Amino acid sequence: MIPLSHYLVLAALLFCLSVAGMFINRKNLIVLLMCIELMLLAVNLNFVAFAHYHHDLAGQIFVFFILAVAAAESAIGLAILVVLFRNRRSINVDDIGALKG
Amino acid sequence: MFYMLSAASPEIVVLVTACLVLLVDSSLRDRGHAAAYWLAQAGLLLALIGCALLLPRVAGLRWFFGMVVIDPLAVVLKSFVLVLVIVALIYGREYLRPRRWLSGEYFALTLMVALGALVLISAGSLLMVYLGLELMSLSLYALVALHRDAPATSEAAMKYFVLGALASGMLLYGMSLVYGVTGTLDLQTLARTLTAAQTGQPVWVLALVLIIAGVAFKLGTVPFHMWVPDVYQGAATPVTLLVSTAPKIAAYAMAMRLLAMGLSAGAAQWSPILIVLAVASMALGNLVAIAQSDIKRMLAYSTIAHMGFLLLGVLAASPAGYAGAMFYSIVYALMSLGAFGVVILLAGAGPETDRLDEFTGLGRRSPWFALVALILFFSLAGVPPFAGFWAKWFVIKELIHSGHVVVAALAVFFSVIGAYYYLRIIRLMYFDVGEAARPLAADGDLSLALSVNGLAILAIGVMPGVLMSTCLRAIGH
Amino acid sequence: MELGIFYTLAAVVLFAAVMVITVRNPVHAVLFLVLAFLGSAGLWLLLEAEFLAIALVLVYVGAVMVLFLFVVMMLDINLVPLREGFARYLPAGAAVALALASVMGFLLGPRYFGLAQFPAPRRMPADYSNTTALGRLLYTYYLYPFEVAAVILLVAIIAAIALTQRARRRIKTERPERQIHVRRQDRVRLVSMPAEKPAGEGGA
Repeated sequence: MIPLSHYLVLAALLFCLSVAGMFINRKNLIVLLMCIELMLLAVNLNFVAFAHYHHDLAGQIFVFFILAVAAAESAIGLAILVVLFRNRRSINVDDIGALKG
Repeated sequence: MFYMLSAASPEIVVLVTACLVLLVDSSLRDRGHAAAYWLAQAGLLLALIGCALLLPRVAGLRWFFGMVVIDPLAVVLKSFVLVLVIVALIYGREYLRPRRWLSGEYFALTLMVALGALVLISAGSLLMVYLGLELMSLSLYALVALHRDAPATSEAAMKYFVLGALASGMLLYGMSLVYGVTGTLDLQTLARTLTAAQTGQPVWVLALVLIIAGVAFKLGTVPFHMWVPDVYQGAATPVTLLVSTAPKIAAYAMAMRLLAMGLSAGAAQWSPILIVLAVASMALGNLVAIAQSDIKRMLAYSTIAHMGFLLLGVLAASPAGYAGAMFYSIVYALMSLGAFGVVILLAGAGPETDRLDEFTGLGRRSPWFALVALILFFSLAGVPPFAGFWAKWFVIKELIHSGHVVVAALAVFFSVIGAYYYLRIIRLMYFDVGEAARPLAADGDLSLALSVNGLAILAIGVMPGVLMSTCLRAIGH
Repeated sequence: MELGIFYTLAAVVLFAAVMVITVRNPVHAVLFLVLAFLGSAGLWLLLEAEFLAIALVLVYVGAVMVLFLFVVMMLDINLVPLREGFARYLPAGAAVALALASVMGFLLGPRYFGLAQFPAPRRMPADYSNTTALGRLLYTYYLYPFEVAAVILLVAIIAAIALTQRARRRIKTERPERQIHVRRQDRVRLVSMPAEKPAGEGGA
């Protein structure tokens, strides 16, 4: 039998990896977007695991909606990325200096 | 069935209007913008009537299996959101039309922002909070990026998007932990069944921190404030105006639904976290705003400070505190609406500089609008007897009442510092003489809306009891 | 047996996640992300979420990741500057991740979420259909959120088109009818002018 904590720790590790990924790839916007996908994957794993151990489908329903919204979110994110690239010919965050931090 | 749908009538009307706007705009081509504008306004007005007439009859009930909550809070906040979006469109058109930036997408996405705010305000479950938030945020990201020719605009949009996606990821992780501990997504069930044993679990604190991070991002408080100055400055002024009004009321509603209603049993744990965020936001916002020479950037930092103040009302965790925060959110949204209206008025049809110098000599160039601006900035500074003063007053009174005397003293201290940069604008308007004496050319709609906006702030300042008793009733006090 | 499958899939997912954030080439990062999703789909099957596991593969791997790949390849990115600072941020990033992971691992570990607190649920019978159960919920209890999610997808369509569509007038196309009707005097103009000599000889 697999205890619930196994899944939760795996999800927590994924979450931490995505946070670290954002930290070390802060210059690379496309990898930043991938790190966000990774974070949502961790969230989804949490929900599916809790739904299984609570014997309740609400968690799975939530994951269904997260998948739909995340698809919309990445479509918009990539659209903004394309606009940005057309304007600047670069997705390096350092080149983006017009706005003061 | 019809009865059930009437509970969602404002949402349905706004959605249908958004779809019609897109169709009309794309089929009529160049003449379509005017038609789309009036259609959007008519739809919002109809939704407002639905809000005012239909919703009170179904108030106090839960609809769609608990997904939608129609309580007095929802009725009041939804009405204000619709009013704000109507006025925001009036201001926005005056700015966009001379620049040939009007498009069907602008109207449709603005309506979608309103729809997201409406959904979020009456969310009855964690799922609806998430969906309403995303509907509103995704539309806002797109709106910010819409005027795509300026590099600064798309950079601001990208920054907004990345931070927003990160914040919603954290919010979701927190929600998943709440679901794991309690086994339910329904906010009312959460409020009823949350036990001390559950809130005593160590993981509970982690869940709260993550959820508060999501709320803090939407409000724009520390530590998720980084997007605020860039988005305010980078976005086109009508979009900035929209970002700073309706979504703030929706963010207040989100804080209420999540913290005050769903997780009320955990108030002892989330209240101290909010104190840190609120004080840090007031300090950072007010101090950095002094150094700004760009009016939009200055208003951005002032937003951070104001949202910190709003959190003070929530953290008192009492009905009077919630009502004070609600009063604050409504008054702040009205003041911000007016302030950006003045920025749009000053920009006119010419090139926009957004520099504070634009205000120089306004007292002579246009005495009436200088007076309106005077009311707005005095109110933002919290000078009695304007509305902004009462907003601060109600929150501080409740803070002292609930025993947070030190926090209340800090709030007063930072408000006094904050008053400086608003008064600086008033000095520019009345006492400084500038060489740039561009006459103001305002369209009838803009002048009328701006005048009404200023007078509304004055009226709330003279009779704060009317709005405050509405807020208290909405909270259920 | 089950535990073995779990550990294998978990190792695959973690390996893929580490590679996503460290590989040099964004295309490889997308492919590793696909691997992470495939591994997760396997884990979700262990958790009896069959519909979601398939949806993850179809929607995520099939659509979203392809969109990512499409954008990465379309944008012709210069890789070198993107890697700047990577080595500088790596130790700090690793430290943050380790600290966060140890705290979260403790909070979510066997002490609070072990088998004693959450006993493994009994397996669903063989004739149980996860898809039917989800569908039944989705069109009754979750009808309203379902409609809102549809609106969110509509917003994504509007936004993506409004943002990336280029202005119509910039498109250059051939107009055969105008090419045929063009006359010599439309294109070539003969100008009579005196012959010129360079003023100085230095240029020659």
